[in-house]
Amino acid sequence: MAKTFTFEIITPERVVYSEHVQSVSADGTEGSFGVLADHAPLITGLKTGILTVRDSNNKTIRFAIDGGFFEVMANNVVVLTDACVTEGEIDVEKVRAEKVLAEKTLSSGESAEEKQKAQAALRRANTWLGLVNK
Amino acid sequence: MQSTREIKQRIRSITSIKQITRAMEMVAASRLKRVESRVLASRAYTEKMHMVLSHLVSSVEGTHPWFTEKEQKVPIVTVLLITADKGLCGAYNNNIIQKTLRFIRAQTDKKVKLILIGRKGYLYFSKGEYAHMIEKYVPESVEKIGYSQVQELAVQLIKGYEESEFGELQVFFTKFHTVMQSFATSMRLLPIERDIFESKEQPGGEYIFEPSAAQILNNLFPKFIETRLYQCLLESLTSEYAARRVAMIAATENAGEMIDELVSSYNKARQSAITKELLEVVSGAEALVHR
Repeated sequence: MAKTFTFEIITPERVVYSEHVQSVSADGTEGSFGVLADHAPLITGLKTGILTVRDSNNKTIRFAIDGGFFEVMANNVVVLTDACVTEGEIDVEKVRAEKVLAEKTLSSGESAEEKQKAQAALRRANTWLGLVNK
Repeated sequence: MQSTREIKQRIRSITSIKQITRAMEMVAASRLKRVESRVLASRAYTEKMHMVLSHLVSSVEGTHPWFTEKEQKVPIVTVLLITADKGLCGAYNNNIIQKTLRFIRAQTDKKVKLILIGRKGYLYFSKGEYAHMIEKYVPESVEKIGYSQVQELAVQLIKGYEESEFGELQVFFTKFHTVMQSFATSMRLLPIERDIFESKEQPGGEYIFEPSAAQILNNLFPKFIETRLYQCLLESLTSEYAARRVAMIAATENAGEMIDELVSSYNKARQSAITKELLEVVSGAEALVHR
């Protein structure tokens, strides 16, 4: 069996995932990357996107994450993110509603600040939906 | 001595008070349980972020504007006070308000601005001599404030700091320890003290940073402030419920004791009324016999 390492996804609200895994791949701010056991120490930013994990039973688990940071340190990998959901948790209807709202704000929004916020919300909603639709 | 009727009435009213305090205790207990798990989860996040930052800071050369002491140049302190919305939680509100007051009084050479979360703190400061200091009051109930609202507040605060509206940011909150124990605490949020990042463990080897370490630091610092602020809020909320629960347990117990006392004095009153009546009957009968 392939060598494993500890992997955690933590949001301010909860510890989403904490297991031994074989590999993790994610969208970094500088491009996609993958991490296996014994990776060199690394700290990088993450984009809003999908993170894929292969756990110790060779099962693939996908998470949608909303930006954040990724640290590799001596076979301990930690993801810190604002929000994270797994496939089973997504409330599609709610996300769709959020998406519609964000699109509306984007087209009619007043301030640049509002538009920026809506943009972020839209990106998140799209990622969330992308996780379900594959 | 009170009449049996009066005592009975008091027993009834205290029994209903006891029921109320008991219900409040149970409500506080269930809320405490919920928020306790949140505070623990958030602690994990804060600690991890602290760890990542420690690694990062030790690998970055030079300093960051958020480390430098702006307070000398801008003699304005912003005090963020977190209290409860409601009372009936023992000394919880009073402790943190007194601590804040001491701090404000000590700032003789600086201007103080107040940001208040929680209605009790607002009620206290809006009436006293410090009313003019209130800069902002967050009217939402503490319980309902979520991470995104904290984020917004943090963004505003960071902007204020960067534009030199104030030189220092202190948060006054109540740190949760156990249900019986929590501490009124203050923490400096900005500028960040570099010392807190002195990592005990040596990073095993050089990090790869993508993008550069300085850039990650720039992105991570606002997050760090947000997280710490959120943590303060959760700690306070947990302490509040714990304090309320303890206060309500004590109140329920006191009510119980009082009922016991009243029942015994009710019995005594009843007994003496019976005795008195008996005496009257007996002495009436005796008078008839001896006539």
